[in-house]
Parts: sequence; C-alpha cells; structure tokens
Amino acid sequence: MSGDEAPPSAGDAPLTTGDDDRPPRDAGPAHDLGTVLLRAAAVRAEAARRILGEPLEALLRSIVDATAALFEAEAASIALFDPETNRLVFRIAAGDQGQGVVGQAIPIDQGVAGYVFSSGQAIALSDVAHDPRFAGQVAARTGYVPRSLLAVPLVDGDHTIGVLEVLDKRDAATFSLRDIELAGVFAGQAAVAINATRIERDTRSLLAAVLVELAGEALDRQSAEAAAEAVAAAATEDLDRGDDTRLWALAERVARLRRADPEQLELLAELLDVLVRRTEAGDWPRSGRRGLGRRAAASPVIDA
Amino acid sequence: MTSELDLPAWSEPFVAGRRGGLVRLPPIGQLDRAWAWGGADGSGIRVAIVDSGVERAHPAIGGRLAESVRVELVEGEPRVLPDPDGIDVVGHGTACAGIVHALAPGAELVSIRVLGPENRGKGPVFAAGLAWAIEHGASVVNLSLSSKSDAMYAPFHELADEAYFANVLLVSAANNVPGPSYPSLFSSVVSVAAHDVPDAWTFFYNPRPPVEFGARGLDVPVAWKDGGRIVATGNSFAAPHIAGIATLICSKHPGATPFEVKTILAATANDPRGVDAGAGGR
Repeated sequence: MSGDEAPPSAGDAPLTTGDDDRPPRDAGPAHDLGTVLLRAAAVRAEAARRILGEPLEALLRSIVDATAALFEAEAASIALFDPETNRLVFRIAAGDQGQGVVGQAIPIDQGVAGYVFSSGQAIALSDVAHDPRFAGQVAARTGYVPRSLLAVPLVDGDHTIGVLEVLDKRDAATFSLRDIELAGVFAGQAAVAINATRIERDTRSLLAAVLVELAGEALDRQSAEAAAEAVAAAATEDLDRGDDTRLWALAERVARLRRADPEQLELLAELLDVLVRRTEAGDWPRSGRRGLGRRAAASPVIDA
Repeated sequence: MTSELDLPAWSEPFVAGRRGGLVRLPPIGQLDRAWAWGGADGSGIRVAIVDSGVERAHPAIGGRLAESVRVELVEGEPRVLPDPDGIDVVGHGTACAGIVHALAPGAELVSIRVLGPENRGKGPVFAAGLAWAIEHGASVVNLSLSSKSDAMYAPFHELADEAYFANVLLVSAANNVPGPSYPSLFSSVVSVAAHDVPDAWTFFYNPRPPVEFGARGLDVPVAWKDGGRIVATGNSFAAPHIAGIATLICSKHPGATPFEVKTILAATANDPRGVDAGAGGR
C-alpha cells in the first residue's frame, strides 16, 4: 500500500513520498495513494462541475417532450426523489398547462405521485374533475385540473428514482391498458438515462461505491455514504478557501476505514483514474447545486 | 401394516386410514360458480388491505372496517401502531377496499397503512405490514403494491411461505414495470393483472405464470379520498376483484387452502372464448 505500487493510471495525481515502513493506520494521509486519488478526484470533479453546464435538465426536457408527443397528451411531467428532503420534486414539465407543477415538492406517502413512487404500481385516473374535493387539492397544488392522468414509476433496476406523469390524452377520455404498459417501458428507458446522468455527475456515488467495495462488510453503506460525503464536502470548501487541512483530516478517516488488499486497491485506482480522466477531458456534467456533499443521498446505492 | 412411526412425517396424511383427511372437493371439472361461492357474502372472513389506508367513513366501505393500523419506522425499525381514525392518505387503499366490499359485503375489512414518509424504510415497512396481516387473522390479503428491492426478495419469500402455511391467501397486483417485483412474482401468490372487460365478475385464468389471473382493471369506478369517487385503471384495481371473489370462496368453504382457492378460481374463470363486454355475471 505504498506510493511506489501506484499503477501507471495514477496519472499526475500529486503523490507524495513518505516512510513506507510505517503501518498504514499510523501513516499520514498524504502517504496513502487511495487518499491522494480520492482528494484529486473530488477536487477536480467539483471544479469541472462548476465550469460545465447541466445536462440532466436537458435530458429531462427531452423525456417530457417525447412523452407528451408519444401519448398525444396536453402535458407531461417528471418528479424526482430528493433524498435530502424525502420528497418528490417536480423538476420539469412539457405543455403550457403542466408548468404550474414545476418546483412543487410532495411527500412520498401522499398523493397519486407519492403512491406510484412508494408502491411501484402504475395507475391511471380519469374523471378527476368530477370529484370536487380531489380536483380542489390538485388545483391548489398546480393550478390545473387534468381530466385524465397516468402516472408510472421511474425504475432503474431495483431502484425507483421518481415518477413520470402524463396528463390529458387529447384523443381519448381515459388512458388504456396499452398506454400504461407503453408508459412503463418508456419510463424504464428514461430512468436508465436519468440515472446514468446522475451517476456520472455525482462523484459521491462513486466515492461511496469505492469505499463499500474497499471495506467489504467492515463498512456499511450508510457509513460509506457519510465518509464519501465528508470527503466531497471538504473538497468543495477547500476550493473556496485554498486550504487543504480539513480535507486531509477527513480523508484520513476514510483511509482508516479501508481494508484494502492489492486487488481492491487496483479497483480503487482504476475507478478513480476513470474519474480523473473524465474530469480532465472536460466532459464532466455539473450538478445543479453547489456542494458535492449535498448530493450524497442521490446515490443509487442507498435506495432500499 | 406399517406403523406411523416408520413413516416420514410428511407421508402421514397420505397413508391408509389417514387419507380421509384429503377428501375435500369434487373433481375440478364439476366445479362451477354456484358451488364455488353461490349464496356466500364473505361473512366470517377477514380481508386485509395493505395499502395507503382505508377511509373508515367512506360509503363504499359500508362500515365494515373492523381494524386499522399503520406501520412506521421507529428508530429505524418498522413498528405496527394502532391507527384508529381510519384514514387514507391517498385514496388508493379505499378504492381497493371498496372493490372487495362490493363483491363480498359480509367480509370484515382490516386496513394496514404502509406508505411511510421515508423512502429508506419502504420495503421493510411493507414487509412488516404483511407480516402483521398474516398474524392477525386475515384469510385474504390484498397487495396492490410490491417491492423492487433485491434486498426484499428473501424477507418476502419467507412471508409468502408463512402466509401459505397459515392458510392466508395473498392476492397481489402484477407490476407493469419490467424487473423484480416482490412478492407478486412468487408462485404461492395469486398474481393479478387487468383485463378490459367492464364487469366485476369476469375474470380469466392464465396457465402461463407468473401472472395467473386477469380481472377488471380498466376504467373502474372506485372510491377515493375524502369520500370521493374517481375512475381508475391499473393492475392495482384488478387485484381486489380477485381478492373479493376469493373471499366469497373462503366464506363458503371455510378452511380452504390458498392452493385450493387458486384451483377453484382457475376452474370457475370465464371461458376466454367469446367473452364480450359485460358477459360476466355470477
């Protein structure tokens, strides 16, 4: 676990020399290749994140536009799960009438979107306006009461990441069973694309995944998330302050969590190398928000 | 004569002098709906609705909500707590309960509200709700939800077996979204998808699992939140139709096992040849 075992893929990460005879637990963090790579990756990813645009919004836009066109619907919208607030946040909508919903956040145990997200079941409703109480709740939230509504979960593998809604099919009063099936397939494709974008964007997902991989059963996912979050958050702050002290202190804790054998170290180096090369190539998508740390819970590895 | 002690325990019910216990039903070819549930109204049967809650005062429930609980995460662990107010946070559970009640008005309904506010615990909360239903006297459990988490495969498999051995029939809505879906894909569960015939008594048997039954699920007028009504489509609404009919079967044939109920359902399903809209009927 010494610096001279570094694979060529370590690139120009700022490796430092140190006393290789000291046991890893006592070694200063700067002596640890993994720590150095983690820091380099976190800092560069955040730098790229701040410079580049936001491709997730563009992807979401294309999905809702395609959905509205495919179903010949008045409106379509996407709500994504926000683990920080434990709510579904409507991120984007197609169609003039659907815009009122954008920015709305709803609890996952309430409403049609909450039900579809929590239960994994696709449902369609019509005659919504016939029920004045239900219609009133919807209108209070969005300013628009659809005649009919189709909601399907956005599922990638075994993770549900949000809900896709289609409102008011133009040529029919209700959605058919075929519509539900089609929407399910379409939502599956969309979820894969959304998740791919998020994973690329989200350094913390990668850091947490690496930590879990390294520590095996010694580190549960929640601890890995927390550790990765700490490293990433520190990287963000250090960019602003030009001061590495806190980052190193946190990175050292991460290093202590490790039970790395050479094979695992190889995996870490490879993963981080990909990360570093990607950020250097300049195609690293940027988060909509500042601060890596705040996105930790968006990691797909914690969806239970 | 072989002594009982010489037999493996599993063989005991099948040996001479014991086989009388196996006589239960006429051959499958002689089953019809009149025999299966004619005259039954669900009396004596408890049906659990594991869902978003059931609105106690909704007219579609007919005052048949006997008990209401909710599952919450307390310090990370799912706990079943009394929910005496009988509320539905969405409307969906009331819709399902209303469908069961319309088919089996004599049955007692029990609501287990499992839509917790935390995503982290949704699989375990759902499992805890199902476990509670199995332990608290339900003969039929309607599950219009499922878990896609691989981590829940084993817990739900265990619960499905527990239910089967306790004579509790699990009726689960099939999931439209590709990928894992527990417990709806387990063999002991009655997995249901929607058909497009606007009749509550029309249902089909599909000999190609995992989704073995089709029931009404297109444009179903259902009860909804705050005493309301709505028209709904989805497998969610097909499952309670089968749950309701299974309840009638259990009511008429007390002690019927899940596989017997499944067999009776298969034998009494509509002939798929020549079913037109509205051609069902009991």
